[in-house]
Amino acid sequence: MTMDYLEKYRDGRVNTAKTLWVMKPIYLILRLFNKTVVHRPVTILYPYEKLWMPDNYRGRPALAFNTCIGCGMCARMCPTTAIVLVECPDDEGKPVKRPQVNMGRCSFCGYCAEYCPTDAMTMSPIVELAEYTRADLIYGPRRLAYDHTTDGMKIDIEETLLSDYQAGNGERRINPAKTDRPVLDNAKCISCKKCFKSCPVQAITMEEHGKNAKGRPILWPSVDDQKCVSCYTCVDVCPKSALHMNEVL
Amino acid sequence: MMADDNTEQTKTAGQMPAMKPVVDVAAETAKMETDKMWVIMGPQHPFSHGLWTLKIKVDGEIVTDAEPIVGYLHRGWEKEAENRPYPKIIPMADRLCYAASMTYTHLYCMTVEKALGIDPPDKAKYIMIIADEINRLQSHLMWLAAVGTDLGNFTVFLWAMREREYWMDMNVRLCGARMTTNYPRIGGVRNDTPELFDRDIIRCTEHFEKAVWDIIGLIDDSSIYVSRMKNTGILTPEQCANLGITGPALRGTGVDFDLRRDDPYSNYDQIDFDVPVLKQGDSYARYMVRVEEMLQSCKIIKQAMAKVRALGKNAPYRLKVPSNVPAGRHFAKLEDPRGESMMYLISDGTDKPYRLKVRSPIFVNVSASRELCMGCRIADVPAIMAMIDMCLGETDR
Amino acid sequence: MVYSSILDWVNFPDIMANPYYPFETYNLPYDISQKLWEIIGGTIAWLINLLFPGNPVSEWLVCDMTVNFFALIIFMIVVFLVVFIGILISLWEERKVLGRTMDRRGTMVGMKGFLQCVADGFKTFMKEDTQPRKVDRMTYMWTVSLVIGTSMLIACMIPLSDRWYVVNYNTGLLLIMGLFALAPFFILVSGWSQNNKYSLIGGMRAAEMMISYEIPMLILIATACLMAGTFNIGGIVQAQYDTMPYFIPQCIGFVTFFVCANAEAERTPFDLAEAESELVEGWQTEYAGMKWGLIMLADYMRGYVSCAMITILYLGGWNLPFIGDLNNYVPELVFLLKTWLVFFAMIIVRAALPRVRTDQILNLGWKVFMPLSIINLVIVLLLKMGGVF
Repeated sequence: MTMDYLEKYRDGRVNTAKTLWVMKPIYLILRLFNKTVVHRPVTILYPYEKLWMPDNYRGRPALAFNTCIGCGMCARMCPTTAIVLVECPDDEGKPVKRPQVNMGRCSFCGYCAEYCPTDAMTMSPIVELAEYTRADLIYGPRRLAYDHTTDGMKIDIEETLLSDYQAGNGERRINPAKTDRPVLDNAKCISCKKCFKSCPVQAITMEEHGKNAKGRPILWPSVDDQKCVSCYTCVDVCPKSALHMNEVL
Repeated sequence: MMADDNTEQTKTAGQMPAMKPVVDVAAETAKMETDKMWVIMGPQHPFSHGLWTLKIKVDGEIVTDAEPIVGYLHRGWEKEAENRPYPKIIPMADRLCYAASMTYTHLYCMTVEKALGIDPPDKAKYIMIIADEINRLQSHLMWLAAVGTDLGNFTVFLWAMREREYWMDMNVRLCGARMTTNYPRIGGVRNDTPELFDRDIIRCTEHFEKAVWDIIGLIDDSSIYVSRMKNTGILTPEQCANLGITGPALRGTGVDFDLRRDDPYSNYDQIDFDVPVLKQGDSYARYMVRVEEMLQSCKIIKQAMAKVRALGKNAPYRLKVPSNVPAGRHFAKLEDPRGESMMYLISDGTDKPYRLKVRSPIFVNVSASRELCMGCRIADVPAIMAMIDMCLGETDR
Repeated sequence: MVYSSILDWVNFPDIMANPYYPFETYNLPYDISQKLWEIIGGTIAWLINLLFPGNPVSEWLVCDMTVNFFALIIFMIVVFLVVFIGILISLWEERKVLGRTMDRRGTMVGMKGFLQCVADGFKTFMKEDTQPRKVDRMTYMWTVSLVIGTSMLIACMIPLSDRWYVVNYNTGLLLIMGLFALAPFFILVSGWSQNNKYSLIGGMRAAEMMISYEIPMLILIATACLMAGTFNIGGIVQAQYDTMPYFIPQCIGFVTFFVCANAEAERTPFDLAEAESELVEGWQTEYAGMKWGLIMLADYMRGYVSCAMITILYLGGWNLPFIGDLNNYVPELVFLLKTWLVFFAMIIVRAALPRVRTDQILNLGWKVFMPLSIINLVIVLLLKMGGVF
């Protein structure tokens, strides 16, 4: 390893006493002048020409309306709370929950796309977002649509479990949406069914486990591992904090 | 720690009281009775790259006192970090330094990894070395551009910015954003290197290693540039130790200290590179150290890319980490482009930090502005302060 | 006399035949102006005569004395406009060439970017004209007016050829140099009057520059005049046409004069008085709106004058060698092209070099350029004594 630059200039290739020695910069300037006159400068004429951007470029978030399940993972992970879930009619007129993004607050970090369990949220390459009012910057679920989503724009979390890594099985990659599952603390549950009602993918069924002292059925949620997307909705709505997410490590 | 061949430096450092000014201020002042005045440079002054103020007391053209005022950009970063879960601090850490965002994100992730007691996979470490060095190059090129405008030449600004664009493109290739990258994660990195990234970054490195000589030729082969920087803003190793100065400013005074080599993190010990050290301690030495660091960064990138390639496509790059961090106090440090930055984390077992303290190298380095500016001329002040490489995002936090 | 048609009113007599003709030799801009007045005044006179046949006003409008008077007014406008457009072209040239040397395109607004100058003029005109409360109003306004005024005056006084001049004066070069050197005084006073520390330091720097660059420059001018044997600009150009352009025998003087002219025009390696990175805008800090716009225009006028001086003294003025009588066709254009070529060199220097420090500029002026100009003078003296010139 050598230090090319320092070896060349360390002792001062230029003698400062020769204060008129300025010919090399002028030569360099003229060389670039020739180059840019004969060819063209490196700059582009922005509104007319645009740079090519790779697929993973993070512009504004884009939403595939029908792939979205309304789990609210994007709103939960958004560091600037730019995303809120709003109710809106879907194609058949049924009210569903979908994210609405305030572009004035969005910091383009890409967490919403990264944590989306169904890849409905992606980052589109659109960056020209200027509007006249702040209200115009709020993008509703339909306005977030972007037609040209490619596979390169989708980003999945591919994590390695710590246990796998330590066991030398580092090549297995999982998405936390496929491993983490809510776990019930039976003693705390009051059978209110809020988790059952709020689950966006209907993964929770209420199972009866005998009757209580008053003769009412004791209903405990049970989670369907295949359907669950680990979205924390049930954990958040539980009024008694009876559910918590079991993090598989 | 000290370089072997700095005998001359230590000799003079013992004799001189505090600094080695270009002109003898006391003698100059005694000769003529002139009024001194405070000239305020900043926050709207073209010399201050960001919102800060430098008050200088001038006697004619000669500076006799200087006082930096920072804090205009205080955003309550540390308090803000106490109110959000650990993963959501990563995009915030990007905003600490706008020139080299990934180093601070990396530092934050290293701190939390330490608190969690996990060691990220090798591939993530090597990718982070590449990302760090891309950011170091970006930051140094932005600094080089600022040197050009501070000394009154716009060409260097645009040439350096042009080269910086290519490294920005590398950032985009790697993680999809130019400046606020949000790329490192606690326990790894966000995504694997994309397809053809290895080809692109080697091309970019080779292009830069050729193109940087044009900018060097504009500055080092121009006697006006060199004479503007030589013998101005002289620091001694003793002053650096007293003021806590780190980074290229420290290495410019002859102290051979670089965290990447002396306290390696992220597999920097697996990589072969040189630490440039010069003993003059003036602005020109700081300049040369930074330029050589850029060329060394290219070498580091090439080696790290080879290691990433050798690890293969299937190697793990991101570990799954728990959301709650066990209670404890941890700190991590890292060689920022501007010096030694540290983060101190007090966690209390929840998913939010109890306290997160940032040690910014610039906040410390700028306190030396009085020692740097004493005895120079007004025209030297931008040149000297450019060598500090101000970045207000991390200074004011 | 019966005037029946417009052609009786508009006729183009020989300008030299006019008894009130103010010049001694043929003057092209005056010719143009007189013909313009013949058209304008003749048309007015014809119209008035149609309404009131035989009135004295119509005849007064086309008599020799009136034609001379109005022709002189139009003469001023014509001379100024040509210089003004020449300066705008040099401004455009600076923007485009500087852009290309920095790997960008320069201005792109209309006519390959030329209309940017017009847009800038309108912009500065529309800006609010602020004036700080505590300035010394009289000096604040007067000094800047004088800086702009003297710059415009000398820009117009540069002859473009032996038929395009304002005054053909035997010591014309001295007059131009005297006015050229006045501006730093005004800048110094202006810096004091603004009650601003940046302006004060900028003004002091202008004075420093003046004392370090005036003297070598004047010695070099004297050398060139010595070589030509006259202070008349036309004489100097003719002497170069007769022998050779002076940049060949006086190559040291040429380079020195180029640098000194750069400093005199306060262009980038030597723009200490308005050093942007340390003294916001130097002595121009407190001038807003159109005042600032005119100061910038005056800067370019001084740049144009510097280039024109180099063209006259060293590059053979409006003549090209080896083409003989072809020089009589468009010597004005040749002169302007040479000026723009020198300006191109100044732009390249600006793109390549940073600003020098105040002590360095004094060192350069007194320790480098002063001896160089003396050496140049000695060389010229030896050549003169040897009978080469």
